[in-house]
Amino acid sequence: MDYFIQQFINGITLGGLYALIALGYTMVYGVIQLINFAHGEFFAAGGYVGVIVLSYLTGLGLLETHPVLCLTASFALTMAYCAFLAVGVEKVAYKPLRKQSRLAALLSALGMSIFLSNGLMLTQGVYDKAYPSELFQGMIQVGGITISYLQIMILCMTGVLLVCLNTLVFKTKIGMAMRATAQDKIMSSLVSISSNRIISLTFAIGAGLAAAAGIMVGLYYGSVRYDMGFLPGIKAFAAAVLGGIGNITGAMLGGLIIGMVEVFGAGYISGEYKDVFAFIILIAVLYFKPTGIMGENIDDTRV
Amino acid sequence: MKRKLSTILVLSLVLVPLMMGGAVAKTLKIGSMSPLTGPYASDGTDIKNGVLTAIEVFEEQGGIPGYDKIELFAQDTACDPKQAVAAANKLINLEVAGVVGAYCSSSTIPSSEALSEEDIPMLTPASTHQDVTDRGLPYMFRLCGRDDDQAPAAAKFIKEALGAKTMFVVDDKTTYSQGLADGVVKAAKELGIQVLDHEHVNQGDKDFAAVLTKAKATNADVFYMSLQGYSPAALMTLQASRIGMKSQIVTQDAVFQPKYMEVAKDASEGVFLTYGYTDPNTPEYKAFEERYVPKYGAIAAYATYAYDAATVLLNAIKAAGSTDPAKIKAELMKMDVQGVAKQIKFNEKGDSGSAYIAFKVEGGKFVPYWDPEKGMLK
Repeated sequence: MDYFIQQFINGITLGGLYALIALGYTMVYGVIQLINFAHGEFFAAGGYVGVIVLSYLTGLGLLETHPVLCLTASFALTMAYCAFLAVGVEKVAYKPLRKQSRLAALLSALGMSIFLSNGLMLTQGVYDKAYPSELFQGMIQVGGITISYLQIMILCMTGVLLVCLNTLVFKTKIGMAMRATAQDKIMSSLVSISSNRIISLTFAIGAGLAAAAGIMVGLYYGSVRYDMGFLPGIKAFAAAVLGGIGNITGAMLGGLIIGMVEVFGAGYISGEYKDVFAFIILIAVLYFKPTGIMGENIDDTRV
Repeated sequence: MKRKLSTILVLSLVLVPLMMGGAVAKTLKIGSMSPLTGPYASDGTDIKNGVLTAIEVFEEQGGIPGYDKIELFAQDTACDPKQAVAAANKLINLEVAGVVGAYCSSSTIPSSEALSEEDIPMLTPASTHQDVTDRGLPYMFRLCGRDDDQAPAAAKFIKEALGAKTMFVVDDKTTYSQGLADGVVKAAKELGIQVLDHEHVNQGDKDFAAVLTKAKATNADVFYMSLQGYSPAALMTLQASRIGMKSQIVTQDAVFQPKYMEVAKDASEGVFLTYGYTDPNTPEYKAFEERYVPKYGAIAAYATYAYDAATVLLNAIKAAGSTDPAKIKAELMKMDVQGVAKQIKFNEKGDSGSAYIAFKVEGGKFVPYWDPEKGMLK
């Protein structure tokens, strides 16, 4: 039983991170029906900006004296940076193609992904960058179960971000505008919603969440490297599709399912097939429900 | 007429220096193959840097008579067999005199087949799988050790020095890492060590929580970690210490990279690994250190071997006085020199011997700990 609970905690940590990245895919798809393959790179960029900011603060000696403040500052700076990066990418690579076929924008997204990850490699080097390890040292032991403070921090932070996003989308005027744009761009522009602004905002929010996931992954695994965006990007995309692409709640659910299936597959059957299990679930769900778990053709929760 | 004249003028301006350059400068081309992108880019870059250093030193010492310049064509294999073969074909088209590489055994084996069709000598600094030299290719040489030497040495160390009774093995399914893990499992069973489980993870994974939780539950004496490269090894070590795993971690030569300690930090203290013994007190090593470290940073797993591979290749070409592969081979076989990494003398297979010892991570450094013949060092 201890073993089960331990793996459950591992799964929920990983799933939460996938969910954060998956949201970016699903929101962008909801608004402009584009699968933004460069999204994984925002996550990687977030990991790097995080390590740069945290190392700088460590150098100043602030990390020891004000750890919470430093962490908040690094999250804020990183999320802001990646939000701007994403808006820039949208303006450069997607906006000029908005009236073209969807395939053109998709190819542009793939190109952007290669460009960004190689840019990261050239500017930051091929070696791993280590995160400061002083933060959240230690763990709690309950019987045979170990939960590290880092896992607790990640779970809390993920929870807070998901709740904030839900509030933003379903409880505020901006969220309402986003949902309106997702449903009908022309109609929403007739009631003076600027679709360009909403699209930029969607990219910014998605990238901000991915950047937060990037820092947490860096802290959790202790290091970042330039190609870290690829695999989680693919898994998160799968999570978004699993949950029903375009649906926010679906993406959260999809992320958690993929994380859980992976961890339990590795824990109870074999580690070498963990990716296989994740994708088997994806195929099985799509076979019986092609729109994904929460996906519906017309749905007012779509963003 | 005027236009014709100006065309001739432009053409001659372009062509004459080219022709002159061709007449005066003769360049010796050599190739290197290693992963410069992808998950093993760091190790591959070390190999390239080692070869570049060798060329720099060799040119300063006078180079090769008849050649003005030695040029390196560094190819990226990405540790992908298909790309490695493409890289080998590219080097064949460039008519290189010899190749240093590749890094992953799974790249070296197929690309050496392509190079051997053209009789181009290939010297691998890092591929330890036994099949690299066991296929009987005449122009395949190896500077590092062999897995079938490393695996028994590792098993003996686990049994004799650590007194382990049980072990948990994990690899990441490359030709190298899985081959070595299988060898260690076999050798360990022969020595009476009980192998509780042999797990596999995927290349490029970052999250090992599930497998580590499984390993922790078995409570084995030794956790043997056979991974391709320091990067996943550092992540796994860090995560193992986070979940409070008590098993002693033992790992292998691909982890011999100072970056391992930089990423895993305190978690890496006390980890053992097997690696070919390099005497850091030889004048050759010191000279290399002085030149390499300021330019490229700390010396990692295969920079020294790549340096030695390039140096013996260039010396053989110089002694042979030509780029004829048979003559280069004859010169290579004659060699018995002290390199930076080790004493180099090739046997008929193309191997140059292995001297695997166990290192321990202590105070952020790899410290020689145990020798299969001499027992505990120090």
